[in-house]
Amino acid sequence: MRYFFPLLLALLLVVFQITVPDIIFSGKIGVELSLVLVIYAGFYLGFIEGAILSFILGFFLDCLTGTISGLFTLLYGMTFIVAALFSLRVYAEEFSLIAVFTFACSLMESVLIIFFYRLIYGVNMVHDIVSVFIPQALLVGILSPALFKIFHTIEVLLNAGYTKSAERF
Amino acid sequence: MLLPKKYQIIILASILVILSLVMVSYSVKHPEKSGFFRRLVLATVAPLEGMVNASIKELGDLWTRYIFLIGLEEENRNLKKRNDQLRGRVIQYQEGYLEAQRLRKILELKEQIKYRTAVANVLGRNQFLSSRTIVINKGTSQGILVGMPVVSTQAVVGRIIETSWNVSKVLLIIDENSNIDAIVQGNRAQGILQGNGPRGCNLKYVHKMDDVRKGDAVISSGMGGIFPKGLLLGVVTGVSKKDADLFQKIEVTPSVDFAKLEEVMVFLIGKEADR
Repeated sequence: MRYFFPLLLALLLVVFQITVPDIIFSGKIGVELSLVLVIYAGFYLGFIEGAILSFILGFFLDCLTGTISGLFTLLYGMTFIVAALFSLRVYAEEFSLIAVFTFACSLMESVLIIFFYRLIYGVNMVHDIVSVFIPQALLVGILSPALFKIFHTIEVLLNAGYTKSAERF
Repeated sequence: MLLPKKYQIIILASILVILSLVMVSYSVKHPEKSGFFRRLVLATVAPLEGMVNASIKELGDLWTRYIFLIGLEEENRNLKKRNDQLRGRVIQYQEGYLEAQRLRKILELKEQIKYRTAVANVLGRNQFLSSRTIVINKGTSQGILVGMPVVSTQAVVGRIIETSWNVSKVLLIIDENSNIDAIVQGNRAQGILQGNGPRGCNLKYVHKMDDVRKGDAVISSGMGGIFPKGLLLGVVTGVSKKDADLFQKIEVTPSVDFAKLEEVMVFLIGKEADR
């Protein structure tokens, strides 16, 4: 049960992020909540559980959106690793730092998506950088501190009894 | 673990990256194959997506019908409530009427078409980053296979890119990864219709000498083996020619309103279906 609920919540998060922002922004930009969760996992969760969570989130997103299977699994795995390495060197509690780091990760992810689409399908998506990817990265960066708080609250609720990770905040 | 934290990350990183790269390369080599787990996730999520969409619609209705009325006089409120009930009933009847109309159109289209078809309802719309897809409520159990064309009463919607037992994913023609061999109906100029996200589509590789005008219909050419010839794709809404370019830039607006799509029809044709 301890692992079932996070899995279900991860699936719900992915479903939420591909349906609700689509209605709000009419499909023009997406809000990648799952990326923030991956960064949160890199900062505050253990290596094994964080990596598994990132892998599963990426896989869910691949199943539901991406046409290249494994692309988001790869990107989320890389983002988790970067976040985990970053958290070893920096005291990542500052809201501004979280926002800037999330913005940078989102931007880097966009660049890699453009690169992979170009490499695999020969599709040029560079023109989307200004109109789609930068607004998306800004939005997700601004929302990230609040989302960190929400994820932390959910983590505490799920780990009632496992208060170790909760005390870090 | 006995290894220092830094090495744990390196080992874990290597495993994750290798595993993901294997998935990517397998997907690129075999795009038509969706694994068991992908099918399972798609089948699990389709009803969830339907529930989320229905809840949002209900919330919107609740807002417009009830919360908005708070603060009015009691009598006015009662009258409005009665009015809402009646309006709800009318809307219900209208919905039934419209659905019947849509189904009749699909039935008429079905009778005109020589291929076997399957009518499906749209369960959800996914427009996330680079991807533009919809999920429909028919899958391999109903004979749906990867690559089959999907149309609406107006025009081409897209093609099946993934199937599960009772749901399938459709790549819309506005997805940047969608390429369809097309011709301009008026002058038969041939090109490739590529998706351009929220901006619609672009008709590429049409020579500058070809006379293409705003309002010209763009139809499928029948080449490429997916879409039968003569299906409406969209209408030309912009043409620009630059001296330096060999080809002209043609903007095409799809004839389908993807935001209002409720029922679609899948042509049960394709390499795998013909076997």
